[in-house]
Amino acid sequence: MGPVQSWFVPARPPCYSETVARLKTIAALGLALAITLGVAGCGQKADEPNTIRLVAWKFNNPGLWRRLADQFEKQHPPLKVALEIGPHSSTSYHDLLTQKLKNRSNEVDVFLMDVIWPPEFASAGWALPLDDLFPAEQRELFVPAAMRAASWRGRVYGAPLYLTAGVLYYRRDLLERYRLPVPRTWPQMVSQAKLITAQEKGDLAGYSGQFKQYEGLVCDMLEFVWSAGGKALGGEGQRCLLEGPAALKAVRFVRDALIGGAAPRGVLAYQEPESLSLFAQGGSVFLRNWFYAWPILNDAQRSQVAGKVGLAPLPRFSGGRSAACLGGWQVGLSAYSSKPTQALKLIKFLTSETVQRRLVLEEGLAPTRTGLYQDPWVLKAQPHFAKLLPVLEGARPRPRTPLYPAVSQVMQVYFHRAISDKDSDLPELAGRAAQDIDRLLGLAGGQ
Amino acid sequence: MAPRRGEKLLAWGLLLPCLAAVCAFAFWPIVYSFVLSLHRIVLGLPGLGEPFVGLGNYARLLADPTARSSAGITLVFVAVSTLCEVALGTLMALALDRSFRGRGLVRAAVLVPWAIPTVVASQMWRFILNDRYGLLNWLIFGDQVGSYRAWLAEPGWALAAVIGADVWKTSAFAALIVLAGLQTIPRELNEAAALDGAGSWQRFRHLTLPLVLPALAVALVFRTMDAFRVFDLVYVMTQGGPANATNVLQFYGYKKMFAEGFMGYGSAVSVMVFVMVLAVSLLYLRLVGRRLLRGDAR
Repeated sequence: MGPVQSWFVPARPPCYSETVARLKTIAALGLALAITLGVAGCGQKADEPNTIRLVAWKFNNPGLWRRLADQFEKQHPPLKVALEIGPHSSTSYHDLLTQKLKNRSNEVDVFLMDVIWPPEFASAGWALPLDDLFPAEQRELFVPAAMRAASWRGRVYGAPLYLTAGVLYYRRDLLERYRLPVPRTWPQMVSQAKLITAQEKGDLAGYSGQFKQYEGLVCDMLEFVWSAGGKALGGEGQRCLLEGPAALKAVRFVRDALIGGAAPRGVLAYQEPESLSLFAQGGSVFLRNWFYAWPILNDAQRSQVAGKVGLAPLPRFSGGRSAACLGGWQVGLSAYSSKPTQALKLIKFLTSETVQRRLVLEEGLAPTRTGLYQDPWVLKAQPHFAKLLPVLEGARPRPRTPLYPAVSQVMQVYFHRAISDKDSDLPELAGRAAQDIDRLLGLAGGQ
Repeated sequence: MAPRRGEKLLAWGLLLPCLAAVCAFAFWPIVYSFVLSLHRIVLGLPGLGEPFVGLGNYARLLADPTARSSAGITLVFVAVSTLCEVALGTLMALALDRSFRGRGLVRAAVLVPWAIPTVVASQMWRFILNDRYGLLNWLIFGDQVGSYRAWLAEPGWALAAVIGADVWKTSAFAALIVLAGLQTIPRELNEAAALDGAGSWQRFRHLTLPLVLPALAVALVFRTMDAFRVFDLVYVMTQGGPANATNVLQFYGYKKMFAEGFMGYGSAVSVMVFVMVLAVSLLYLRLVGRRLLRGDAR
């Protein structure tokens, strides 16, 4: 024990007394305790009764959240809105939000939910039902696909905030130059792309879309599967149907006719921004993307094809129906909120017609209320919205199960394997994916 | 002389915050991960409860083909990136150890990749490797746009790209450690060897290398342990794709836990990584560490 002493109290003064030693001990212990408590104590925030905590996904224009909150505060004194804006990526935002809800945090009253989350959030008990806000006559005012996506087992868990869906962007100038109609079927689109790229000089690709291994791949691929008459999951009994002939046909088409065919192989690493920039730089004839691409493509500052772009529902396979994957966001109420009544006021405000109109006019976001698609103000500011309502009416939500994130992971790997290798054994890969998905669904069903 | 009781108490008191911090931030998470890994916890399905399943998650993990391929990918990543980094780091250190004009500046410049946050570096590599406007394609193929490759879309190339980005980023770290080792070698030894007629390769092989070996070992240990935990590069560059070709274990565990909500199974994956890292570090310690700890590196 000698060494301890030597560095601990190097030069003990002669007047050193027991009392001083004891005092020192007490002081040191006190300090230690303070540090320990200080570490444990951070993270606890006082809960103010009039402050509603809103955890939001980040808009392209984050300032909009503060402006909406200001408007709400003006209309509902003395309520205040404390904003926490999460990441722009839906998956990262999901990590952040579920982490809070899992810990039953009272720092969330109201949160934004991606359109695919309600079954998970409802089943986990994180979101409270909002049935009072949505009696039958209210539900009718919203786009049906949005209401379907917001519900789970007959109850509504998300107030639809705004929508988006997959559409086909095409080069109007090129189609006109070759006297081609807007393609109605996928094979027609591919043959048009071949014709145009063979004639045009330079390095022009036929098709651009999102085929990286991530959530967007599922959206793009399901649109092909749906428009061939196939399905990912079937019925209330819920079984994976990716082995079905229609689904296989769609995946085979993407592998053989698009990847390495009409589309550059690089799309296998593309998310939305890369696919958009290829088209915006005049690098492809067709592009599958969400609604948000329209204003960007028509902004001469950001796009070399401004004014030369057309928008149409996605093509289909012969015998199938055009199907857009539904995206968008909803507002949910946390089960751990200490002030649900006040929180409901904010939710009601956010999905009111006034705010929906603001979202269109200021941000170009597609409203969830059907009526706004005939609104003269809206159509004057965004004439292309007239074309969006039919797309949304034919839009379909992604498979609905509390284990959607896990099901999606299996689909992402399956689709990416299937389309990235031109010799892939599709029935075998689909069979393995179906087996994994059925096991997940069994787990969910056995709850 | 035995210390008095008050002193003992004081010693413990002063150690307590540190101990508490280590327990709270190092031991507890490890223990808790292990406890979680013994349960079946599915966030989206609270109705299932959180039943104790013993080693069930580990049994499933061993039979899980994705986990197996992830383990293989992780090992390839660790082996290739660590070897390249230490080799490259040694070369860099040897160069930096010579005296030349502007050495201070070059030494600082070499550290730049290491100082860049990994997320930023990964994003930069994503741009460099982009199939249409990426720098790499332009450097290799120039104007022949037709031959441009989609590096991150091909399974083999994507893994190579992630490894390359890691080597680019962390070789400097290995270089730093090896350089520190080189600096401790007395100049006279080299001069004496040169006088005795040893060529530069002989001097490196029989003098510098043995003397710098402890530093090399340290660099190797650090890099190996770090490489096992690779996450951010994959997260930004490939998200585990294409077709799961870069789905390293850490990323797989993260996806299981945070994206899919399988807390138990995901914990089992991270405990597995922990065990692998532990095993490797114990192995290293056996091979080189003892000599290091005794301090008789020579």
